[in-house]
This record gives sequence, C-alpha cells and structure tokens, in this order.
Amino acid sequence: MVPPSSALAAAREALLHQGWAVLNGVLDEATCTATLERLWAAAAAYEAQGHSTFMPVLDPNAANVRVFDLLALDGCFRDLILQPEAIALVEALLGPNFRVSNFTANIARPGSGSMALHSDQALVVPEPWHAPWALNIIWCLTDVTFQNGATLFVPGSHRAQSRDDLGPNPEARLVPFEAKAGSIIAMDGRLWHTSRKNITEGEDRALLFAYYVRDFLRGQVNFNALLDPALQATLGPELRQRLGLQAAENLTAGAALLGKAPRA
Amino acid sequence: MAMPPAPSGAAFFPSPTRDLAEGLANLRTQGLTIFPGLLEGRSLQRARDALYRAAEDDAARGRHQAFSLDYAQDRSNRRVWNVLSRDPIFEDLAFHPDALAYVKGVLGWPALLGNLSANITGPGGGEMVLHADQIFVPEPWAPEPQGLNIAWCLDDFRESNGATRFVPGSHRLNRPPQGQEGVEEARPLEAPAGSAVIFESRVWHQTGNNRTADEHRAGVFAWYTKPIYRPQENWFLSLRPEVRDFASEEALVLLGYRTEGLGLVHGRSPA
Repeated sequence: MVPPSSALAAAREALLHQGWAVLNGVLDEATCTATLERLWAAAAAYEAQGHSTFMPVLDPNAANVRVFDLLALDGCFRDLILQPEAIALVEALLGPNFRVSNFTANIARPGSGSMALHSDQALVVPEPWHAPWALNIIWCLTDVTFQNGATLFVPGSHRAQSRDDLGPNPEARLVPFEAKAGSIIAMDGRLWHTSRKNITEGEDRALLFAYYVRDFLRGQVNFNALLDPALQATLGPELRQRLGLQAAENLTAGAALLGKAPRA
Repeated sequence: MAMPPAPSGAAFFPSPTRDLAEGLANLRTQGLTIFPGLLEGRSLQRARDALYRAAEDDAARGRHQAFSLDYAQDRSNRRVWNVLSRDPIFEDLAFHPDALAYVKGVLGWPALLGNLSANITGPGGGEMVLHADQIFVPEPWAPEPQGLNIAWCLDDFRESNGATRFVPGSHRLNRPPQGQEGVEEARPLEAPAGSAVIFESRVWHQTGNNRTADEHRAGVFAWYTKPIYRPQENWFLSLRPEVRDFASEEALVLLGYRTEGLGLVHGRSPA
C-alpha cells in the first residue's frame, strides 16, 4: 500500500504548520515485518562487532536497545534513508540542501525508561531557533502507543525561539505520537520531545530515527570514517552527496551570493 | 541601520599588536586585529616558496581551482585548496599556538578547522564580493561570531596588489551587507609579509583588486568554526595521512578526530 499523494500533501502541510506529521502506510505489513527482523539482525551484528546497544548517556537502563550505524549494517536501511516520501517531507521543511546526520534505531523493550525533554536543534544550535535546521523521520516498525513508549512532544514548541519561549513546566503539556506500524512520523528539529517509558508486559516498540540537517551543519556521524571504503564505492551519487562524502562541503551559500540566487 | 562611524586616517584599523588581550579587544570592537611578524625569516620564506610551488604545480597540470566567491571573469586569481596537505610548513600555520590562542579566545573550545586555502591575486585580478564569512548561517544570527579567519600574509599586502579590504566594526551589525552596502567604506588593510590578519566571521571584507603590472600577492586563510558546522574541506577524504598520524591533540580536535556528539564513528570519537 502506498499512501495517496493527497495524504503526502496533507502531511507536508501539517509538518510546516504544527511541526510534526504522520504519514500512514509507507511500509506495507510484509516489508515492515522484514525490516524489523533485519533490525534485530543488525543489532546482533553490531554487538558482535564489540559495540554496546545500551547507551548510559541517553537511557537509564538496558531495556532501550540502541543501534547506531544502520547505514553500515544493512542495505535495507540505505534504501529507507532516501525513500521518496520521506525525502519529500525532508525537503518540505529543510529545502533542497540537506545532509544525513545520523540513522539509528531505538527499540524500547518493556521496562525501558524515559529520556530528558529536549529539542534536537536546541541540543546543538545556539538561540535563536528561528527556522528548522534539522528534522527526524521516525520509521515505526511496530505500532507506537502511549503504553509502549511513544515519543512525547510539546505541541507548538517548534515555535519557541529560546528556552524562555517554552514557558513554565513544559513537561505537563506532553502528548504522545501514536502511529501504526509502517507509518513515518516527521518531526521538526525544534519540537521539544522525549521518549516515554514502555509500561507494557511484553510489547517492543521499535523506531528508526533518520535524522537530517541543513548542509552547513556538521553531522552526528562521520560517514567518511564509518563506512568501509569498499562499501562507499558502491553508493550512488545521490547518497554520496547526502552523506557528505564529497571533498568540498558547505559552499552553497557562497555560490548563491555570487549568482544572486535566492538563499537556500 | 546606520553604519558604525568610520574613523579617518591611521585610526581606521587597530594598531598591530602581539598582545593577546589587546588583540581580543580589537576583535570585539573592530572585528579584526593584526598580529605583526607571526611568521618570520626561514619559516616565512619556506611557506611562501611552498605555496607558490603548489600553485605552479596545479597550473602546470591544469588543476584550476576556482571558487564560488570569485567573479567569473577573473582569470588571474589563483586558489589553492587543501593547503594543509601540500607541505608540512602549513601545519605550523594552522596549528600555531598564537593563532590557536585567538581561536580559543573568540570561538571557545573545541573548534574545527573548516578549511586551509590560499588566494594568490595576480595583475588585474583579485576583486571579490564584499561578504561576511558566516553567510552560510541563516539569519538572524546568534549574537556571537560562529567562525574566525586568520589570514597569513606571505607577501606584503598593499593597496596596489590586492590587499584584503575591510569594513571595521561592521560585525556589530550582526548581518551580511545588503546590495552595495559597505563597498564605499571598505579600505585595504596593508600589512608586511609575515603578518597575520585575524578577523571574526561577521566582519565585512573582500579581496582587493590587484592593479600592479607584474606582482602577485599570496595569502593563506585558516578558517575555524564552532564545532557544530560542517567543514568546507572534508579532511577525512583529502588530508595527507601523515598529518593525522603525527597530529597533536589540539590538531586532532581541529580536524574532527576528537569529538563529542557530532562527527562520531560507532557512536564514539574516531580517535
């Protein structure tokens, strides 16, 4: 099932105005199930390489399974990072000049805990946060519910240009992103959010976080150093550019200035 | 918004100084400072020779490296990118302790080396669009500079040979120039070979026009940024490996090999 173009158009509008959007049915059931299996295989491979899937800096306990380096681990994730509907939402918010910053998984198993409230942009970029410079495309490989650890967000917080603009006690205004398996959730980098505890008895909540930034920002991951040269040689020009594998970067604004073209 | 008042005569630019506190004060008030004699004697000669040799090697092989901020009709300006990989002497410039004291004083630490490139103006060439170096940051800008440029003068910089033109104080407007704004006010910053002109990323400047008949003027520009920005030079792809192999801790930070949160490999710093 492919979502109709009207659904994509509605998601684009929602993203621009409310700072988030859900697009249903981007992955059909079989693909979603297969991707989840490959995620667990990737997690096992990642641990076999000697990396831990528990990140104490992010999570209070090991029931949150984090897999970095998805793009190095399985070609199915390299397909998802440039999936056309996801990219349509990325370009709607960030414009044509973007880079992939990171692509990670977070599987919240029963008993997993909550992160601190943050916006992705505020973690990195100085105030004022006047425009979106970053965006997450969250791939839901399972149903995402309040009980199983849905991401919680503060509605309208993407308009906060500073910490003061958030107002008092933003935690009290948190609401969950709930979505069906196979959906994508697009989230403006300025939207304040946290993960919730998984309070179910036996239900995993598996999400992939495809994180994109404007091309002048440094990525979370250094793909030049991460990706094996033999793998890099197999990547197409679009992916090479989006991963920042070119020798010269961050020259878009300079070119626009001389050409008197509109600033990207 | 009115331009800051432009003082006349010798006071247009701050007096050259080797004192860090005075230099940092110049950067705050004028957006730039001049460090005289940062490179001297054999070091200066060696850097100059290495740069001209690199430019000649590129020219002999047809490796023309134009830059998007040069005017298209300019056939005389020569750019050399990735200067850091061309000769070890340039490591001495990029990682010079006095230079890094300014990087830390203006940007804090860690910082990144975004680029180390050279610009050699030739007869009839050179002139560049008046700009601020942090134009890649969308406006409105945060109230602090996001980058710092250190121009190493390998030849005397004179008005006639294309000395960089500046509008001191323009950084306080905290935005790029609009239209022809600032072009009238910009003045050439003349400095003897071996000087470093240290300017923050919001101050308006442009390469000057080289009006000489037969003179070239070489400058190496070390561009540093706060660590959230993507370097212009992808060091992981283009750096000569032994630079990394023998790099100091500070150099590893500047090249992106010592990192937290950004630029990670397997969720960790790559070195």
